[in-house]
Amino acid sequence: MRFVADFIGALREAGLHVSPAESLDALKAIKLLGLESRQTSKTVLALTLVKRQADQVIYEELFDLYFAGVGKAKTSIKESNKASNKEADKSESESSENAQEAKNNPHSSQADMSDGEGMQTSPSSSLGKALSKNKDMSLAITQAAIDEKLSSIVLFTQKNYFAYKIMQRLGDDLLSTEIRAAANSPEHKRKQRELIKSRARLLDQVKDYVEQQYGIFAQHKGLKYREEYLQQAKLSQLDRLDYKLMQRLVQRAARKLASQHSRKRLTRKRGQLDVRKTIAANAAFDGALFHTRWKATRIERPKIVAICDVSGSVSRVARFLLLFLYSMQDVMPKVRSFVFASEMIQVTELFKQQGIELALEEIMKRWGGLSTDYGKALAGFQSQALASIDKKTTVIMLGDARNNQGDGRTDIWEKVFRQSKRVLWLNPEHRNSWDTGDSIMSEYAPWCGSVEPCRNLKDIERIFSRLLKYS
Amino acid sequence: MIIKHQEKIASPEIIQRRYEGLGYICSHSVATAIYLACHLQKPILIEGPPGVGKTELAKITATYLNAPLIRMQCYEGLDESKALYEWKYGKQLLYTQVLKEQLGDVLRGARGLDESIARLHDFGDIFYSQEFLEPRPLLQALQSEDGAVLLIDEIDKADQEFEAFLLELLSDYQVSIPEIGTVKAVSTPIVMLTSNNTRELGDALKRRCLHLYIPFPDAALESRILATQVEGLDTQLREQIVALIGKLRDMPLKKSPAVSETIDWARALLLLNVEELDSHWVKETLNLLLKFQDDIELVEPEIAALLKSLR
Repeated sequence: MRFVADFIGALREAGLHVSPAESLDALKAIKLLGLESRQTSKTVLALTLVKRQADQVIYEELFDLYFAGVGKAKTSIKESNKASNKEADKSESESSENAQEAKNNPHSSQADMSDGEGMQTSPSSSLGKALSKNKDMSLAITQAAIDEKLSSIVLFTQKNYFAYKIMQRLGDDLLSTEIRAAANSPEHKRKQRELIKSRARLLDQVKDYVEQQYGIFAQHKGLKYREEYLQQAKLSQLDRLDYKLMQRLVQRAARKLASQHSRKRLTRKRGQLDVRKTIAANAAFDGALFHTRWKATRIERPKIVAICDVSGSVSRVARFLLLFLYSMQDVMPKVRSFVFASEMIQVTELFKQQGIELALEEIMKRWGGLSTDYGKALAGFQSQALASIDKKTTVIMLGDARNNQGDGRTDIWEKVFRQSKRVLWLNPEHRNSWDTGDSIMSEYAPWCGSVEPCRNLKDIERIFSRLLKYS
Repeated sequence: MIIKHQEKIASPEIIQRRYEGLGYICSHSVATAIYLACHLQKPILIEGPPGVGKTELAKITATYLNAPLIRMQCYEGLDESKALYEWKYGKQLLYTQVLKEQLGDVLRGARGLDESIARLHDFGDIFYSQEFLEPRPLLQALQSEDGAVLLIDEIDKADQEFEAFLLELLSDYQVSIPEIGTVKAVSTPIVMLTSNNTRELGDALKRRCLHLYIPFPDAALESRILATQVEGLDTQLREQIVALIGKLRDMPLKKSPAVSETIDWARALLLLNVEELDSHWVKETLNLLLKFQDDIELVEPEIAALLKSLR
C-alpha cells in the first residue's frame, strides 16, 4: 500500500490531478486484485487514477520507472531471505539479527560497533560487516532514502547531495574510520582493500538508486517550474526552444477556456408556447390553463472573428498570437481567422486542413515579416467579411497598430465596431509604447470595446476568459 | 446490482474468456474494468474512437449478467424530464376530476371553513406521488428490482448542466425529485458512460468513474475479432485485411477506419468472393472503409504501394 501511496505522490508531482477519492478507489481495487501481476496493477491503477488521455503517457512512463524499482526491492528481499536460510552455520538469532539490520541498519550501527570491537580480521562496523557478507543492500538503501526524504529532490544538482546523505545514513562514517584505521596496520591491508572495493560498489548502487528516483520525482517537477515560468514570460523573449512547450500550454489554455464556456444559454422572454410544460403547470387547476409556459431557452454560441497581424513589427510575437488563434479555432465552433501584413487573408480553411506546425510555418513564410499597411488590410477586411459581422459577433484584433505612417482607415474600424457585438484589441506592446513612433493605437481605440496589452500567456488567458464569459 | 452468479465475475480472466464465448473479444484491461465495476460498484466511463465497441461492451455485459439493458442516448438539450422522470399529466387531470366528485363526501357534515380545510388535509394527497410518476431511463435503472445495466451513451453530446445533474446518481445511486424526495436505488445498477470526446468532460464526473480507454485493437486482437464476427473468412485474407487496416490507421485521415468498418468490409469481401486483396477490389470497396471523399482521394493513389508493402 505504501508503494501505491508513494506512486500517487509521484503522479501528482508530474502534474496529474489525483484526488483523495481516486486514491481510495485505487487502493480498494488493488486490494481486490493484488500487486502480483505487473500488467494487472498497471491496468488497475490506470483505470482508477488516470482520467485524461493526455496523462496516459506520463503515467506509463512513471509506472515503468517506479515499479521497476519496486520489483528490484522485492526480489532482493526474497534473495536475502534465501541466502540467510542457506547459511546453515549461522545461528537462528544471527539471521534474525540480519533481517533486523536490513530494516534498521542506520539505528543499530552503534550497538554493532561495540559487539564487533574485539574481532580483528572481520570488519567491525555494521556496514562493513554487511558488505563483507555480500549482503544485498537495496532494501537498506530504500529505507535510508525514505528517511532522507529523497522524494523531495527537485534539481539534478541535488543528486550528489542525496547520495552523500544516504551513504551517511547507511553508516558510511564508521566504515571510513575503519578503513583509515586498517591502513595503519599491515596485517589488515587485504581487509582494507576489500572494504574500499565494496564501499565503491555500494556508492555506485546508491547513485543508481538516486538517479532512478530523480527520474520518478523530479523530471516532471522541472517541467512544472518551466511551465510556470513560461506563463509569465514576455512573449517577445521566448525562443524557439520554448516554442514546443508553449504550444502545449496554449492548447491547454484554449481547451480549458472552450470547455468552460462552450455552451452559453440565453434566456428569452417570449418564444413558442411549450404545451407540455403548460399542461403540467396547470394540471392542479383542473386543467384550466392559468399559467402559460414558454420554450424559454435558446442555445447561443459566440461567433468570433479573429484578425492577427503577422507583419515585421510584430514578428517576434506573431507566432504565439497565431498559436493562440489556431488553438481557439480548433476548440471553438464558429471562429473565422484572418491574418494580414498588408493584405487581409482568411486562413480559417488553412487552419482546418493543416496541422498546427505546418499551418503556422506556411503563414509565416507566405505573409509574415512584410511591412504593415492597416489601411489596405482593413479595406480587404471590409470587402471580405464586414457583411457577415452582426450583433452576435465578437471581433478580436491582435496587433500593434504600427502603420508605417499610412492612412489607418479608422472609418472601417468604426463600421466594424458599430456592427459587431464587441471589439477587442490586443496589443503585444506595453501601454507606454503605444502611440510612440508610427503606432496609431489611440486612433483605433475609440472604436474598440476594450484595448488591452497582451504580453504573456497569462494575459491572453485572462482576456479570453473574460471575453467568453460575457459573449 | 444483485449478481446471481458470483462465479461469473470471479476474476478478470473469467470475464475475458466468457465474453469471448459470447462473441465479444476484449483486451485484458477491458475485462479488468468490468471486474472492478462489478466489485467496487463504480460507473465506468468508456472513451475511445468511434466504432471500437464501446456501446457493444454495455450490451454484452447486460447479456452476460442476465440484466436488462437500459439505454439513454444523450443529445443537446436533454433534460431531466426526458432522462429521469415525468408526471403523467393526463392521469393527473383525471384524478382531479375524480377528486372533485368525492369532495362532497369528504366534506359532508363539516362545520366551518377550518374544519373543511383540516379534512382536506387529512385526505391523502396523491397528486404528486409515485403513482403518477412516469419513470424515464435513469429512474427505471434505479427502480429495477434485480439491478440493471444502465448505458448513458455519448455523454459528451449532452449539456454541461446535465453532466452536473448526473453526479448525484453516479456517486450515491440516488436522485432527488423535488415533489417526492430522494429516490434510492433498489439495487445498484452497473452504469456505463460512453464518450467520443467531442468535448472535455468535467473533472467531477471523471472523478466518480473508472476511466477506460479503448484504443483501436492491435493486429492480433483485431484478427481474432474478425474470426468470430465474420464466419468463413479465409485466414490469409483475414491477415491481409487486418494489416491493411493497420496501415490505413497510420495515415493522416479525417476518420480512421474503426473495427465496425473492418467487419463490414470483411463481410463485403466475403460476399464478393474475393480470395486475395488486389488493388481493383480494394478500390471498388474503399467507400466501405472511408467515409470522407477527401480520405478516399488521399488513399486511392496509394493502394498499390500499400498492398505491395503487405507482401
